[in-house]
Amino acid sequence: MHRFLIKTISFVLMSCLLILAIALIPGYMVNKFSKFSVKKDNTIALFGHSHSECAYNDTLIPKLTNLSHSAESYFYTFQKVKKYLSQNPQITTVLIEFSNNQIDTKMDDWTWGYTYMSNMFPQYASFMSPADFELLAKHNSKYFMNCVGIAARTNFIKALSFNYDYTGKTGGYFKIEGSMLLPSNNPAGKNIKTPSNKSAISTTNIQYLRKIINYCNSMHKSVFLIRSPQHPLYEYRNNEAEFSLIRERYFSDIKFLDFNNFPLKNDDFADFGHLNFKGALKFSAYINQRIINGMLNTVSTASLSQLDNKTVSSN
Amino acid sequence: MLFNSFGFGIFLIVVFVLYWFVLNRKMQQQNLLLLAASYFFYACWDWRFLLLLIFSTLLDYFTGLKMYQAKTQSLKTFWLWLSVSVNLGFLGVFKYYNFFAASLASICASIGIHLSPFTLNVILPVGISFYTFHGLSYVIDVYKNRIKAERNFIDYSLFVSFFPLLVAGPIERATHLLPQVKTKREFNYQDAINGLRQILWGLFKKAVIADQCADYANMIFANSSHYSGSTLVLGAIFFTFQIYCDFSGYSDMALGIAKLFGFELLRNFAFPYFSRDMAEFWRRWHISLSSWFRDYLYIPLGGSKTGTWLKVRNTLIIFLVSGFWHGANWTFIIWGLLNALFILPSILLKTNRNHLEIAAKGKAMPTFTEVMQMIATFLQVIFAWIFFRADSVTQAFKYIGRIFSRSLFSIPQLDVNKAQLLEVIILILCFIIVEWQGRENQYAIEKLSWLRKRGYRLTFYYTLVVVIFLFTGKEQQFIYFQF
Repeated sequence: MHRFLIKTISFVLMSCLLILAIALIPGYMVNKFSKFSVKKDNTIALFGHSHSECAYNDTLIPKLTNLSHSAESYFYTFQKVKKYLSQNPQITTVLIEFSNNQIDTKMDDWTWGYTYMSNMFPQYASFMSPADFELLAKHNSKYFMNCVGIAARTNFIKALSFNYDYTGKTGGYFKIEGSMLLPSNNPAGKNIKTPSNKSAISTTNIQYLRKIINYCNSMHKSVFLIRSPQHPLYEYRNNEAEFSLIRERYFSDIKFLDFNNFPLKNDDFADFGHLNFKGALKFSAYINQRIINGMLNTVSTASLSQLDNKTVSSN
Repeated sequence: MLFNSFGFGIFLIVVFVLYWFVLNRKMQQQNLLLLAASYFFYACWDWRFLLLLIFSTLLDYFTGLKMYQAKTQSLKTFWLWLSVSVNLGFLGVFKYYNFFAASLASICASIGIHLSPFTLNVILPVGISFYTFHGLSYVIDVYKNRIKAERNFIDYSLFVSFFPLLVAGPIERATHLLPQVKTKREFNYQDAINGLRQILWGLFKKAVIADQCADYANMIFANSSHYSGSTLVLGAIFFTFQIYCDFSGYSDMALGIAKLFGFELLRNFAFPYFSRDMAEFWRRWHISLSSWFRDYLYIPLGGSKTGTWLKVRNTLIIFLVSGFWHGANWTFIIWGLLNALFILPSILLKTNRNHLEIAAKGKAMPTFTEVMQMIATFLQVIFAWIFFRADSVTQAFKYIGRIFSRSLFSIPQLDVNKAQLLEVIILILCFIIVEWQGRENQYAIEKLSWLRKRGYRLTFYYTLVVVIFLFTGKEQQFIYFQF
């Protein structure tokens, strides 16, 4: 028995050491050598989820780089922001997409739900703090270790192939052709009721948005929250009251650029939440002009609120 | 509490320490500990079903005693039938009632009578088919005077509920396990190391191969109408490896855990995918169930020592019942029927016992004929698994219909990360090589010739640990828990 215990415990300890080495050494190398570069003339970085990913065609906005990624909660955006800002000192302004669905509990699933975690965690695990690990382990202990394994494998392969370049792999403008917005027998969208989609608030996502802002402030960057256009029938617009309340209560110190009601036609939308190529073309051209006109230097709330009063014109 | 979960690891360590260090002096205390641990293990799924398990145990324990004490044969038969009917009654209610009600309603609907059947809104108690069969084998053996009725309730309960085999087998026999329960166990270093080795191999099979394959198999079967024939073949192959590694991985872990406590459970798998005909496959697949049906159904029906038509009838019965045992769905019944049809020619031609030894025994490589035989058997097995995996018979036929189309000769198209898919395929190939190398053992890595040197052996085990850590797939429930 004595021999069995000694051998088993030694084997288990050695296995743990081996696993730790395999998880930590490539992770350390990825953290140390990772490259998150943007063009030298890009001074504005945009982060967010699929709304901003589809809305800002950054080839039309020379100063801006769109780093948004679909289904990305602020938890993962935070890891990305840290690396981009620390490696690209030319970035002076950070735009963060802040729209209605980003306060919804759906974001919790985007953070620790298996499908999302297994995709995003391996990408950013090397840059996370122990508190970040703890958060995921606490909320999804069942699959957390599985994702640690996937992350270790991803980092191991990166380290073996000396492939530490994240450029182009963390998001960017996503072009959607066509529109699946409204049924062909009702192209004007008449009498379509918006489904009620009021659920609880994701405090984690809101906390991580605050972390992103604090980090940007610590790096002396100008930070703006920005809401890209959403169709009037977009289901998450139902939480507008809560959305406004959260913005005023927790982010009143941050300028909010609201293009929620930017005038667009139905066929400019891919669906209620996303612009298609055509819509992105119009919106990006407009944003570029506004940036040239100094929108990010002095924000005229009056001019923005004018947009709020316009309604989306129908086809 | 799954065997491959962190919680089970802690549970196992606690029980092991108490068993060998605290209660090691008295066998009865050890048995009581194992019984308590088994009930705790079972209650972790749903404590309410623990009552059902205890009731079933009490029933078989008392009917066993009553049969043993019965003065007349008719009284003995009465107690046997009481136990059999109540056991099968429970199984019928929990597992098959809704199936029969729905089937009756659809038959009536086809002749114009519309019934709205009363269905039960109950979940299937985990492991019910396994512990019911444990109990049944015991009462039948007592009835047939193969064993004496067990007087010690703790010992009997432990035989039924021993946690490594409680929820998915192997289906033990009283003649095999009860004597071990009643004998003082001494710690044996070699057995314990062997047990750990088997657990490690089982964990690799389950966590790496089965769970990785499950992702692809689930994706392809869930969207089968969108994929080409070649992709559907790939899906069926993934499921073929998933189910084998899932179930045999579980069995390896169960046998390994039992060894840590000084028990030797029945072997459940003997490298079935290296079989050269379907008869050999069924001697190597889920051995404890196949032998149960052979001993308690096939032989009482006359077995193979009868005329041709009775042989055909008995074979059909045993495979249909076996299919039905797996689940209340026509897919399982057709799966059973298909296997019967595949095996019948060899029974009728009396070639079913041609391959009693493992393929290429004592040789490194099989002959060309053996390779062809193995491939042919493997293809039949894959074909039958399509019915087993499909959600309905209609889906299975559509799946097969799409396989046998022009798209069978196209390149499989899967919208997944190609590098990850390649990793899984490489892992499967490595797994096949190790299984082939170790096919003459009880389990693949028990004694491998290239692992004789301690250094090589340790390197191999550490590699396995690392592979398990790096390549574990999304945790999936063991397939056989649903049966």
